[in-house]
Amino acid sequence: MRHDTTRRRTGPAALLTVFATAALALILAFAGGTPANAASSPTPSPNASAAQSIQVWIRKASDRSNVAGVKVTVSSGSFSQTVTTGKDGKSLVGLPGGGTYKVQLDESTVPKGAGSIPSGLNPRQVVVSAGNQAVPAYFILVSAGAGTTPTPGATSGSSTAGDSDAGPSASPFELVVPRIVTGLIFGLLLALASIGVSLIYGTTGLNNFAHGELVTFGALMGYVFSAVLGLPGIVAIIAATVLGGAFGFVQDLGLWKPLRKRGVALVPLMIVSIGLSLALRYIFQFIFGPDQLVLPADNRAALILGPVRLRSTDIISAIICIVLLLLVAFVLLRTRIGKATRAVSDNRSLAAASGIDVEKVIRTVWVGAGALAGLAGVLIGYYQSLRWDTGASILLLIFAAVTLGGFGTAFGALVGSLVIGVITDVSTVFIPNNLKYVAALVVLILILLVRPQGILGKASRIG
Amino acid sequence: MDLSFLLLALGQLISPQTIAYALAALGLAVQFGFTGLLNFGQAGFMAIGGYAFAITTLRLGFPFWLAVLSTIVATTVMALILGIPTLRLRADYLAIVTIAAAEIVRYVVKTPDLIPLTGGSDGLNGSSITFDAINPIPPGSYGFGPLRYDENDLWIIIVGWIFVLLVALLVRQLMRSPWGRVIKGIREDEDAVRSLGKNVFSYKMQSLILGGALGGLATIINIIPTSLQPDNYGTQTTFFLLTIILLGGATTVFGPLVGAIVFWVVLSLADGVLTLLINSHLLPISSVQQGPIRFIIVGVALMLIVIFRPSGLVGKKREAFFA
Repeated sequence: MRHDTTRRRTGPAALLTVFATAALALILAFAGGTPANAASSPTPSPNASAAQSIQVWIRKASDRSNVAGVKVTVSSGSFSQTVTTGKDGKSLVGLPGGGTYKVQLDESTVPKGAGSIPSGLNPRQVVVSAGNQAVPAYFILVSAGAGTTPTPGATSGSSTAGDSDAGPSASPFELVVPRIVTGLIFGLLLALASIGVSLIYGTTGLNNFAHGELVTFGALMGYVFSAVLGLPGIVAIIAATVLGGAFGFVQDLGLWKPLRKRGVALVPLMIVSIGLSLALRYIFQFIFGPDQLVLPADNRAALILGPVRLRSTDIISAIICIVLLLLVAFVLLRTRIGKATRAVSDNRSLAAASGIDVEKVIRTVWVGAGALAGLAGVLIGYYQSLRWDTGASILLLIFAAVTLGGFGTAFGALVGSLVIGVITDVSTVFIPNNLKYVAALVVLILILLVRPQGILGKASRIG
Repeated sequence: MDLSFLLLALGQLISPQTIAYALAALGLAVQFGFTGLLNFGQAGFMAIGGYAFAITTLRLGFPFWLAVLSTIVATTVMALILGIPTLRLRADYLAIVTIAAAEIVRYVVKTPDLIPLTGGSDGLNGSSITFDAINPIPPGSYGFGPLRYDENDLWIIIVGWIFVLLVALLVRQLMRSPWGRVIKGIREDEDAVRSLGKNVFSYKMQSLILGGALGGLATIINIIPTSLQPDNYGTQTTFFLLTIILLGGATTVFGPLVGAIVFWVVLSLADGVLTLLINSHLLPISSVQQGPIRFIIVGVALMLIVIFRPSGLVGKKREAFFA
């Protein structure tokens, strides 16, 4: 059995097929199970039967407590509905179809002393695609004086999965545990992207600053297939993976291979990847516009375990990640191409001398890295939201994960990603939300002080 | 046909923004071109320096010279913090750490909790008061045609250019001194320099501090006629600077100056031509789509320069590239 596997010539195409079929099988297996769980949704509402909905949530900025009894009007064209927020500060509004909705908060109904909405944020436009459930329309009430305007900055990763903080009365346990869980899921998503960075670094020595754009590419392809063409999520995920692999292949063939042949040194190569990243990122913005894009998904909680609330997309994403990571581990450890990859990572000249086709290994790595990054992108799109710079905003987290685990080691990238994911999410308990990436980056700098070769790296690699 | 953009592009020849980028690029050239340090966080040094100047001026009421001094102190501290853990490691570690540090700086100054100090994402306004107070130029409107400058604009342009040229001369002399020969030696072969008994770590640190301080001072020139905006100091700023020094010649003193001028004039021209084409409906894109185009140009230009002309416009072939 094992002999068969090792003998098989696992080319890039075969690798892709394996990824794609694994993803397909998984989602099909899961698609049946989740809707049943959705019935136990915590926000039962007469509108819950609608195919689309907007989740209104009003909180105070000072202590994050929920504000009840506020009237909110959701309107678009002839449709208009006014709801009042419940005790949890939330209200779900069912919608007749996709489109852009105006969400207006009636400021006269806000309790005295609760604060007000910063100017320009009320009313706000919310874009809803067909099939989107509980699209967030959150309002933060700010007390007068502190005029915070949460601008949609480069990394406003509004992780809706982590929004389960239950007000000021929640115990530390209830605050931390959900974040560990969402952090682990985010870490798994990061791992998909990080492994590619690590393998590319291992086989070619290149620190690929354009890897974030592979991630964004996957996310945008997922958006094209699911939100624009209206195909089911499974198709979008597979398409993003396959096209991501194709993108990696084209990049290697059209850019990196010729540069390797010219014998361009590593630092110039790194700068080329920076230029490529800049160009690609803004080409994405040129095509898809500067705004947040939303993948059609059910944002209601599907699984509740104590303080942990997960959406069906979170669970499916986590399972896809775990299966694919196991698959990657299998490919690296047990197949011919995987062994060749590790050999090239270890010592390129020696591998070439012993008859390994180094160029083919590198090509395969690029295809695999592109496919994994594309998959990571579309899943991150489901996890939070996506934009033209989604990948760029997590690029440093990917680097942090890879450095933490040890450059060039695939399993180090996995461990590093999980650590970074958990640190990112758990840190929001202690520090302001917009600083959550800072925690991960500080950890990156600290780890270089203490153990520069990373958790699983070899000391000889750091030179 | 509205051709006023040609004059705007001409204005970029001497604008404070060009001066600031020339100075910051010169700092990056000291680190990257001459020493071979991969500082991908020059934007972070710029931000730290700018905030040190603006905060000491606005919140603490420092006089101009003391505020400038605090900028140098702040960038030096940052260089020490970043350099001590990474300068002993392989080059690309410094790249990742500096780019991460620059992002940390940007996230932190944008935090709503720090609004009383840093102004959050709105940045800080009005830090030019102490500089304008020592302006000897009588009030009025100077310049020609549509290129008009008031006395304060003129003051910063004159002081800025004199300062940049002085710094460039200083750097040129430094690079011809024994110190500069050691620095260039580190770029070429670190181990050879070490075997001569030189403390490579210390030289690298000095280079990092010098380049970072120039970045911080550059921000002062940039924010005096406008304001301090945190998002102007994101990673793309560092990449603009990289493009500028590679365009001009990374291993030369006057390359960054030439690069900065060419960079901003070309971008301004490209913007003008695009606006013209869009307004006369020759190009089927919206004005929202016009924004990203300059970044696409920079990205593609950066790739092409590195691949096809690594020595830049005024660089020497022999010293073509850092390793």
